[in-house]
Amino acid sequence: MGNIKIKRGVFDTKLELEHAGIKAGFPSPADDYIHDTLDFNRDYIRHPEASFYGDVEGDSMKDAGIFDGDRVIIDKAVEPHHGSIVVAFWNGEFTMKYLDLTHKAEGYIELRPANPDYPVFKVEAGDNFEVWGVVIHLIRTFE
Amino acid sequence: MYGIADLDNCYVSCERVFRPDLKGVPVVVLSNNDGCVVARSNEAKAMGVKEGTPYFQLEQQFPNNKIAVFSSNYELYGELTGRVISIIRSETPAYFRYSIDECFMYLDGIELDQLKSWGERLHKRVKREVGMPISIGLAPNKTLAKIASKFAKKYVGYHHCCMIDTDEKRIKALKLFPIEDVWGIGRRYAAKLQSHGIVTAYDFATHHKDWVQLVFNNINIVRTWQELNGEDAVPNEELAKKKSICTSRSFNGMISDFDTLRTHVSNYAARCAEKLRIQNTVASTIGVFLNTNAFREDLAQYWNFQEGRLITPTNSTIPIVGAACDVLKKIYRPGYQYKKAGVIVMGVGPDSPIQQDLFDINAEQIEKMRRLDQVIDRINRLNGSETIVIGAQQYTRKDGKGKANVFANAIKHDFKSPNPTTRWSDIIKLK
Repeated sequence: MGNIKIKRGVFDTKLELEHAGIKAGFPSPADDYIHDTLDFNRDYIRHPEASFYGDVEGDSMKDAGIFDGDRVIIDKAVEPHHGSIVVAFWNGEFTMKYLDLTHKAEGYIELRPANPDYPVFKVEAGDNFEVWGVVIHLIRTFE
Repeated sequence: MYGIADLDNCYVSCERVFRPDLKGVPVVVLSNNDGCVVARSNEAKAMGVKEGTPYFQLEQQFPNNKIAVFSSNYELYGELTGRVISIIRSETPAYFRYSIDECFMYLDGIELDQLKSWGERLHKRVKREVGMPISIGLAPNKTLAKIASKFAKKYVGYHHCCMIDTDEKRIKALKLFPIEDVWGIGRRYAAKLQSHGIVTAYDFATHHKDWVQLVFNNINIVRTWQELNGEDAVPNEELAKKKSICTSRSFNGMISDFDTLRTHVSNYAARCAEKLRIQNTVASTIGVFLNTNAFREDLAQYWNFQEGRLITPTNSTIPIVGAACDVLKKIYRPGYQYKKAGVIVMGVGPDSPIQQDLFDINAEQIEKMRRLDQVIDRINRLNGSETIVIGAQQYTRKDGKGKANVFANAIKHDFKSPNPTTRWSDIIKLK
């Protein structure tokens, strides 16, 4: 009897009871319908390890609805296809353009702006070029 | 089967992720304070740039070569390697991260005849999704897996993945492998083995086990010998025991006053505490060392190292910084020009919930500290490291009035790359 040692610990029993839905008072009618909150990171970023961000400078893609100051999410895991908006490293800088594979069989591909004021880049088969990633989302903050 | 994934020229590869123009170009990364070369691209190695070359000698030694030079950017390396580990986690039954650029994998559950192509796919996935190359070694034990990964790195024919799964391959590999490069054989043991005429891993493996036991009387060397002979001998728990964590720096210039030293040491201690929290461990002993510049024979020389014990093992910033400052007070001697200081935390063990005694007045305090650390870590993760620091970590301004730079700004890093994965201000610009 004389050997009782009192320990102090953190009580988390309350938390467990809440989880089990048997806390005091009436159970919430919503308990049966619990669903995780919508989460942009979880639902919109398909490949977290392969996702990067970029800020748009200039209006070379304005006819695609992408403007100066917009922020884009780039996914390196997505396979680029004809018509993808891609990020490529070209002439010493990152550029965002439409990927045009129309002439692939003829030995070249094109990076096409969405603005008639800008030139189309022609990339030959031997050029040191690779698509860095594919643009999957656009973020524009209004307020 | 075991595997190891090794990130090729890790820091250089990280720098290249956002600099595709540096592909095929010699690249080096410098140590803290831009002191000397700590990482080299294959092109830099081929030119003859040696690890440890002081930065100021690079230009003298290679006047006609263009070398891309970077200050080390651990914020970037930590984030990008974390992505690689995350991919490995999703592809393997079990894994253990061994260092910033090495990760062991336990591959039971993947069919043996599928393993090689599995490894090649893993490399492809990491290369494509993160943009960094890895080399993969596969073998029945960890020592042979390490050897296999070196072959995977060296010879393109392996497609970044080499498997040692037969005795024939094992013997062939060991005959080509220098003893000093074997995992677990330190420089000291390598010298001793070489003095016995042992040059390759094969020479060692073919000695008798009794001889190894007699000459070395060391369980780890015997285990290495067993693994070279194909057994699975190094216990997995051995890997996880990081017995100590060290944070140290050479100063940019020399320091003699106590207050500046204390600020440096506080920052190293805070960094150690953060590393402990990242790996969910606590430390019971805090060591501090201090030394003058040994190369300046014209100056008075002094060095010292002492330890302090913590009553309760912890990973909290405030008690660890406090203990480190106490030790520094004991070893500091005025009148010397100090070049380097460091903090080593020891007695590292798992961070298990402590059975708190009713009569331990510290218990409540410890719980509060833990919550404070969690909040600070979260804020610093979201807003960039050192958004919040404790007072001791702040440097005094040059004019002596008030507080100025935090740690990161006190290190010299003239060639630091941006942080496009951890700071919104640094994300890439798209024309």
